Amino acid sequence: MAILSDSDAAEVTKIFGALVRDVHVKVYTQKLECPTCTDTETILRELDGLSERLKVSFLNPQTDSEEASRDGVERVPALIVTDATHCRVKFYGTPSGYEFSSLLTTIIDTGGSEEPLTEGTIQFLSDLDTDILMQVFVTPTCPHCPGAAVLASRMARYSSRVRSEVIEANEFPELSRKFRVQGVPRTIVNGIFYVEGSISETMMTDALKKGLEDAPSEETNLLDYLRNEGG
Amino acid sequence: MDLKTGLVGSGSTESRELDLVIAGGGPAALAAALYAARYDIDHIVLESYQPGGQAALTAVIENYPGIKTITGGDIVTAMKEQAESWGAVFEMASVLSAEPLKDGIQIKADSSTYMARNLIIATGAAPAKLGVPGEDKFYGRGVSYCATCDAPFFRDARVLVVGGGDSAVKEALHLSDFVSELVIVHRRDKFRAEPYLAHKLLSCGNCNVMWNTTLKEIKGDESVEGVILNTPEGEKEMKFDGIFMYVGRKPATEPFANLVELNDNGTVRTHNIVHTSRENVFAAGDVTDNDLRQIVTAVSDGARAASAVFDKLQ
Repeated sequence: MAILSDSDAAEVTKIFGALVRDVHVKVYTQKLECPTCTDTETILRELDGLSERLKVSFLNPQTDSEEASRDGVERVPALIVTDATHCRVKFYGTPSGYEFSSLLTTIIDTGGSEEPLTEGTIQFLSDLDTDILMQVFVTPTCPHCPGAAVLASRMARYSSRVRSEVIEANEFPELSRKFRVQGVPRTIVNGIFYVEGSISETMMTDALKKGLEDAPSEETNLLDYLRNEGG
Repeated sequence: MDLKTGLVGSGSTESRELDLVIAGGGPAALAAALYAARYDIDHIVLESYQPGGQAALTAVIENYPGIKTITGGDIVTAMKEQAESWGAVFEMASVLSAEPLKDGIQIKADSSTYMARNLIIATGAAPAKLGVPGEDKFYGRGVSYCATCDAPFFRDARVLVVGGGDSAVKEALHLSDFVSELVIVHRRDKFRAEPYLAHKLLSCGNCNVMWNTTLKEIKGDESVEGVILNTPEGEKEMKFDGIFMYVGRKPATEPFANLVELNDNGTVRTHNIVHTSRENVFAAGDVTDNDLRQIVTAVSDGARAASAVFDKLQ
């Protein structure tokens, strides 16, 4: 049975009309020990037919282990959205609810004609001299999560110094527990400092600058840090 | 399976003059955007990074005329799509400041600046904090202001809800589907919420109400472990895994403090519903001092404000 309704498919087809370049989505799923892989695969198979610009490939981390290792896939279901030159923008979990919105936006960002990041953020990313991993924990029912998920994905799409992972917190409880996530969206940076909530590009770049400069050794909420120390 | 198709907007580094800036992203701003677009007013909507405002966080809406039941997220998405279909223009940015000029208002957003002949303030309100010890420390570690977002983290857990208005009761009912036990504490001896919601909560199987009770402190080590409550019988310590706060709202009016008169509680002082102390600045929705704060009143305010701008431009 189809997951995308006729009206969803029509809306997505209209949205994909903005694609001017090919966008590749690599879908990693497996049959065993992955209760959400079937739904993820079905959604992507249905998206696959909605634009000639969208190139979806389906892989299995067991049988395609070398490629999975090259792509840095650590769990399934995993999606990589790319223009075929990198594997920096990842989604872990079923792209349902508001995560579907994040995935669609990332596809349009990758293959659309406009640069969605502002000049200040581009400058920040161009000046980066260290690598950043942004792990954004989200839930499908969280309306504010796409803002955080898409910002991290945009930064990773633009800069080879940044990698983003949007993680559906319910599907990966062990990872949520590891980072003690009990509220979303939460962006964990380099596994050490974090940003709570969906915030502006300016605030995020300020928070990242501060975090990279001070390099806290313990888990630190950067927004508190900025507030307490006057940025 | 529910799939949301609304795209996330982007910021801008634009600087230009225009007839109208609408600040906000909730129902009041979206209604103003729809009317402004249909009136063909040169405008932009500065939507914050939390699109849809508080309405988007509401699990179920059952009192919007003509729609029997809908989620908050779906109603604001439909409003935005409708406004965009008429040509409404959105930018993802928060207003940082708004200063009066001779012929208009200078509005600075994250990376853009606009000289607007008119402004509609529809920035809504954020959940108010109670200010008790532990509230900030455990935010995101068991303290939450969004049941719709965070309920799944508290599956089969013991959860406390603080408040007694519509939001507290509505979100407590949403949480009761996830948690093993829910306690709601309210400082009065009856709910302020709609009687229908209050009755529904009082008959909920895993919910308990503690009247005349306030939260004194949230305790824990790395995450919430319990609370101290002030009850009519004295202080009481109880164990909880999560605390959801619905103790009122703080209007988002800081950037407009130099522009229009505000009331002591921070709301924009209005007359004739949407007019403010400055003739080219209007206010709509939860940011105003209007007494009823509902989606239906917010969209009414938004439409009135856009209409007032249209009349002024004639």
